Amino acid sequence: MPTTASDNAHAQLAPLAITAFGLANALGTDRAAVLHALRNSQTGLGPSPVAVPFETAAGSVDIGVSELPGDLAPWTTRTASIARQILGQAGMPEALARLRSRFAPERVAVFMGTSTAGADCTEAAYRHYVAHGALPAAYDFARQHTYGAILHVVRELTGARGPAWMLSTACTSSAKPFASAQRLIHAGVIDAAIVGGIDTLCAMTLRGFHSLGALAETPCRPFSAERAGISIGEGGALMVVERVSDSTDPVALLEGVGETSDAYHISAPHPDGSGAEAAMRMAMAQAGQRVGDVDYVNAHGTGTRLNDAAEGKAIGRVFGPSVPVVSTKCYTGHTLGGAGATEAALAILSLQEGFIPAALGADPLDEKLEIRVSSEPLVQPLTRVISNSFAFGGNNVSLLLAKPSGSGA
Amino acid sequence: MTMETHGMMAITGLGLWTDRHADAAAWLSAAPPSSDADEPPAKAPAATLDRRSRRRASIITRALAEVFEQAVTQAGVDPAAVATVFGSAVGEANTMIGLLDQMWREQTDMSPMKFALSVHNAASGLTTIGAKNTRFTTSLAADWDTPAMALIEAAGLLACGHERVVVVCGDEAAPVDLVPAADQFELLAAAVVLEPLATTEPTRRLATLGSPALGNGAATHHSIDASDTIVRNPQVGLLNIVDAVMRSAWGSVPLDAGRGRGYRVSLQA
Repeated sequence: MPTTASDNAHAQLAPLAITAFGLANALGTDRAAVLHALRNSQTGLGPSPVAVPFETAAGSVDIGVSELPGDLAPWTTRTASIARQILGQAGMPEALARLRSRFAPERVAVFMGTSTAGADCTEAAYRHYVAHGALPAAYDFARQHTYGAILHVVRELTGARGPAWMLSTACTSSAKPFASAQRLIHAGVIDAAIVGGIDTLCAMTLRGFHSLGALAETPCRPFSAERAGISIGEGGALMVVERVSDSTDPVALLEGVGETSDAYHISAPHPDGSGAEAAMRMAMAQAGQRVGDVDYVNAHGTGTRLNDAAEGKAIGRVFGPSVPVVSTKCYTGHTLGGAGATEAALAILSLQEGFIPAALGADPLDEKLEIRVSSEPLVQPLTRVISNSFAFGGNNVSLLLAKPSGSGA
Repeated sequence: MTMETHGMMAITGLGLWTDRHADAAAWLSAAPPSSDADEPPAKAPAATLDRRSRRRASIITRALAEVFEQAVTQAGVDPAAVATVFGSAVGEANTMIGLLDQMWREQTDMSPMKFALSVHNAASGLTTIGAKNTRFTTSLAADWDTPAMALIEAAGLLACGHERVVVVCGDEAAPVDLVPAADQFELLAAAVVLEPLATTEPTRRLATLGSPALGNGAATHHSIDASDTIVRNPQVGLLNIVDAVMRSAWGSVPLDAGRGRGYRVSLQA
């Protein structure tokens, strides 16, 4: 039986203020570069930088691995390098300093998501092990592979000392931290949190999706009649969230989160999209908002036949054929565990700029999907965006993001 | 510094599985291994999983599904109508090693099923599919603080209107090729069903649990009598709770074995 919003009854929760965000993906490593690419309809997808025995497009982040400072050096990984770079982007250091000045460190949490954690390090180390009979001297499973490793790095870099965990629910991993923060701020357990997530490219995920027959040879084309699968990307986003107050100056509001489970199949969505529909409705119900209040759907839109069909049905039932729908994976690739946060960040850019990017490669549209997918960019005022993330295990998350009132919506 | 993190919760069900203990009662009785020590440990029955999933599931997924079932059975709650928080520090790392062997050692195509079941939320996915449970589910990791963080996530869910949450934590022996011998541990999975204290019938309560808090003094609960390889398991904190409830050993229970951040939780009748 499909999930309904009432099955997962939540208290109606107050919105959270998102006071700063940073992102890194195939489009760039700061907000200006990413926005420039979106405005110019330039995809970040290209030939895979990871060697695999088949053709595929991928999205890679233009960041090298740089050693972490001081005692953190043994935790140096590509994931940690990306996290450090994001935390240093414009606005983030100021927002983090403000948190430190307002709240006790024990009241600031770190909730992140990843599906790969340090898999890129481990697959390289294991290849060395197979070839030479020993792991590389620099390899350290605890400090480079585990989910806790990157948590440690972010806690140390930010000074946050509250609860800290890594959600790993495949492709919803970095959307779920927003809900954890919302609940614990509502419950009075914490005052603020650093949320988001990061994944990095590795051969294992490329080969894995290839084995499932889900990987496209050329850049993915979500919602197209000619769509042929996923393009994998890497990257993520980190954000500062806190309770709305007179002293916050949010860049966006997190108004609601819907979380459901299909209980259907480990690697395929429920074909009628019932869990996805319930997640979107739950996000709106939690915020006390209606369908007509949403201006844009940033779809999960992986570009596979089954996923887009199920999500398209769900979006069609909830929003009908008039609300614009775009999957930004045609720009960044599917950043897997980093996708929820990445796409929330792209949705915030849309809210700030009044701009919906073109759905690259969507023509010819799949006419069975009764949704509005525009292959041209749209410029229009935006007040609310739904950002969808759906995952293996039938895990569904929808985030309802809004432009702060008084910011010229 | 002590940080109270949330309100009180009732424990209404327990589950436990190790290579040598098939449930919490077996743990309490300190029964000898059910099979000859030279034989490989039995796999958890995991009746919640359908037959095909059970055959494909990893050791840790089967153990987690098993303790979920034990806990909801004891609590007398519908397995399809509970929220679930799964916790594991290394999760499906052994499944990942199998994939790496296919890539680098055998140089064969990757098994699509193994890949699909290599995600950290494989246990969450298969258990909810088996239980036909469409409620909230999540899967988290926080090294040795995993049990404490899973309990805090559960407390947040209860505070936001969920009627009951099953916290299911476990780790299997870490990959021997990747982890030094001194850090190796053996399989441990445990579960507790949590409900808001205010709305739980006293007759259903096994114990009353506070929320995990950082502590600065010695925990008052006695140490569990367990092998080093169990104590090193990152989920030992949840075993501490199961052990304390079974022995009615009330007090402050440590949620790690000295390798985490020092979270503890208060446990009362």
